[in-house]
Amino acid sequence: MNRLQNILRNERGYLLLNVVFLTLITSFAAMFLLNSAVRAKNPQSTLRLAAIHLANEQFAQLESLAAANDLHGGSYSFLGDKNDLNNYSFRKEDSTTSTVEKPVKFIVKANVSVNGNLRTATVTVKIDGDENFLLTMERTMRVAQ
Amino acid sequence: MLNKKCGGFVFAEFAIALPLLILLGYGLAIVGVEMFRLGKNQLADYVLEAEAQYVMERITHQARFAKEVKVDNDRNSIMFIYHTVNDRPAGTEIPTATGKNYQVFAVYDVLERQYFIPRRSDDDSFYENINAKRIDDGNLTNPITGENFFGNTKIISLQFKELNNNVLHISLEMESLITERRIKLNTAVFMPNCDTKEGLRRD
Repeated sequence: MNRLQNILRNERGYLLLNVVFLTLITSFAAMFLLNSAVRAKNPQSTLRLAAIHLANEQFAQLESLAAANDLHGGSYSFLGDKNDLNNYSFRKEDSTTSTVEKPVKFIVKANVSVNGNLRTATVTVKIDGDENFLLTMERTMRVAQ
Repeated sequence: MLNKKCGGFVFAEFAIALPLLILLGYGLAIVGVEMFRLGKNQLADYVLEAEAQYVMERITHQARFAKEVKVDNDRNSIMFIYHTVNDRPAGTEIPTATGKNYQVFAVYDVLERQYFIPRRSDDDSFYENINAKRIDDGNLTNPITGENFFGNTKIISLQFKELNNNVLHISLEMESLITERRIKLNTAVFMPNCDTKEGLRRD
């Protein structure tokens, strides 16, 4: 015990430096890891963008119906191009095996309420198999008389 | 090397810590490279998303009040003609719903043409960007995508068709040249004032 104390007394400056350098290195590593953690790809914003455009497509169809005085109250399924419901954004195409990743499937529904000449359409967009994703848009349009 | 005074502590310390230190440095180097690669990809994806959104917004806004639509299916380009003022003689008073009359000062109707033209690359293998060309009094062409240092993009397809009565369906697919990821947006816009359509296919 006495011998160890002797040794450590001799190496006091070295231990201090060691602690300082190790602290610097570990904090540097922590900074690196924290910085890279936020850079994982998050497709949520892209899906939201596609969903907003799909909702606008449904609104365009409903407006066309309203202009033809053919928009009644009730619920509507997706009236646009049915292929648009499958979204292949950010897919990786493998040319060697010619396999394509499964698309994200959107579910678009509209509900129209009647108030005189006005029709208020509420469009909801969901993703098949994802309970957290929900986009709701509302637009009021006037029917042609 | 190991004398009585030094006691061997520094040597033992180094023998344990040096391999660990080298491993740690190696790990940090790998994480650092990966970090910058991810950051580069992230920037490129943001640019791709933003450009796709911008193109869609511009085309739908122009289509909304278009009087005429003309699609060139060979070049995938589209032209909108819209009217900037009411086509009435100057001095006409137009009654409005609020009771106040609206005075028309313009004598003639200004026709504006707005083109969106995908441009082929120099070796004619892909669409490099989309040019917006506006003709009213002047004649100005501007690229509205591509040439971005952080994430250059190219156009895979830009297609127009008619879905219903006066509903223009727009489909845009873009690819980032850096990450090679693609984004595809589909939308439609109702054109209440459109009376002339040329080259629009229906299926």
